[in-house]
Amino acid sequence: MDALEAVGLSKTYARRGAPVRALDRVDLAIPKNALFAFLGRNGAGKTTFIKVAATLLLPTEGTVTLFGHDVVADPASVRPLMALVPQEGKLFFHLTPREHVYEYLRVRGVSKESATSRTDAILEAMGLLSHQNVIALRLSGGLQQRTLVAMVLATEAPFLFLDEPTLGMDPFARRQVWEVIRRAARRGSTVLLTTHYLDEAEQLSDELAVVEAGRILYRGTGEALKATVGREVRLQFSGGVRPEELEPFGRVFADRDRVVLLTARASVRELTELALSRGGEVTVGPVTLEEAFLDLVGRGIGEDES
Amino acid sequence: MSFRTQANAALRICYFNGIMPLWRSPLLIAAVFLTPFSFLFFLYVIAPRSLFPFGVVGGILFTALFTGNGMLNDCAYLRLERQLQQVFVASPVSPLAYLLGMALSELAFALPATVLFTSILVLVRPVSPLALAALLGVVLVTWLLATTLGFFISTLFAQLREIWPIGTLVFSLLSVLPPVFYPATEIPARWQWVALLAPSTYSAQLADRAVGLGGGISTGVAFVDSPLFAVGMLVAVTLLFGGAALFLARWREP
Repeated sequence: MDALEAVGLSKTYARRGAPVRALDRVDLAIPKNALFAFLGRNGAGKTTFIKVAATLLLPTEGTVTLFGHDVVADPASVRPLMALVPQEGKLFFHLTPREHVYEYLRVRGVSKESATSRTDAILEAMGLLSHQNVIALRLSGGLQQRTLVAMVLATEAPFLFLDEPTLGMDPFARRQVWEVIRRAARRGSTVLLTTHYLDEAEQLSDELAVVEAGRILYRGTGEALKATVGREVRLQFSGGVRPEELEPFGRVFADRDRVVLLTARASVRELTELALSRGGEVTVGPVTLEEAFLDLVGRGIGEDES
Repeated sequence: MSFRTQANAALRICYFNGIMPLWRSPLLIAAVFLTPFSFLFFLYVIAPRSLFPFGVVGGILFTALFTGNGMLNDCAYLRLERQLQQVFVASPVSPLAYLLGMALSELAFALPATVLFTSILVLVRPVSPLALAALLGVVLVTWLLATTLGFFISTLFAQLREIWPIGTLVFSLLSVLPPVFYPATEIPARWQWVALLAPSTYSAQLADRAVGLGGGISTGVAFVDSPLFAVGMLVAVTLLFGGAALFLARWREP
């Protein structure tokens, strides 16, 4: 039995004017103990999926089961098995990080002794010990987010929904949180996280799904997603070439300061020499998950528009 | 989770959502006390002295009724602004335990003002322990009625800005217009039945009667004017709002 199974899951928001289809017949199974990431643009349907699976939102069609329990028909059986970091969640402003973690565990029925030891452990693991007795009102946004994640991870719930868990954190804090999430998965929790940080998805997840317009465009490993691009090398140019010159050589992504080309190994020497001869700078490396994501979602958008 | 664990969850929510903020920001006590005290002061200045005890009982009931406004705003704030209700929904905490915990938090906020008004009442008029117990019973039922109504309303809106005026409107209508701060006899006899449309009227009728104040409703129908009818209506409306909060409130967005 999978930890989570969605079959034909659809959600349409009845907005004035035109209804919005946030999920469109999604089929997804997440095995037990998996660390699974959802990638997608804003409004792609990631949070809607999590809200339905976490019993916060009713679906329009389809079913979701968590460890075999239907989340719509039997929420009382499902809720003890889960914990959730909501997107852009905020703390009780008058409580400290220690109180947040401890009280949330106690509310969930964890014994006093266990709540105390789990609170100590998670505060240390999340680098919150030096701020543990500061009320949330006086904590930075990143520390507040870390506290919210600590509350939820300390539950050791069998299924953890983490909706953008590292939003607003500095790179050091993010790595600290990644380690605690990995530890939760090693301990036996199944984790479903959404993120806009592609490095985070790559570092953390065993498998990921790319969601676009309420549909799953891709499901598999990050490495396999990179392979879908069909190019071997990533060239990043700062000056020296114009994007339109590079188009015959592969997939081009351009922004204000840089042009990125995903291309075949055979083109590297020619294009590098061209850019250097014109005074530009070139970096050569492997295709990243970001470009693979942009390529895949870009194609998805193109298909929709055509 | 067992019944005991759910009860413990409710008490813990009351502790960290009601008692701790009061402990850390005692000014909140004054905020709860200020409005009913202002009404009472106003009554003291402009009304005959014989009406003052009605104003004191009115202050007690106003405080109990405005727990509903606090509940409405706090629940909406935690759900919409903080996203914290979601953290509790996606957990073993039952809807009833969450609801009760939030309602107890509001009771904690109301307690200092209630004690203060009750002290004033005891100072201005002899009240027996039995009468005080009866008054306490009315206050508790009124608190349940107000908080369940507040919770139910809070779940119907998706924007905080829509909710703020609704709370003030509903709970002001319940506590200021009906005969809560003044005796029902001040309303012309043929219009007294209109006051029966507000459940707070029943609270006030019972509270005034408990502490030996007159001024009860007089519709001419003996059964309707009896305290038994007031008890029945108060309990029925509380059950109705409680049921709405538990079964009709949107724990899940549609």
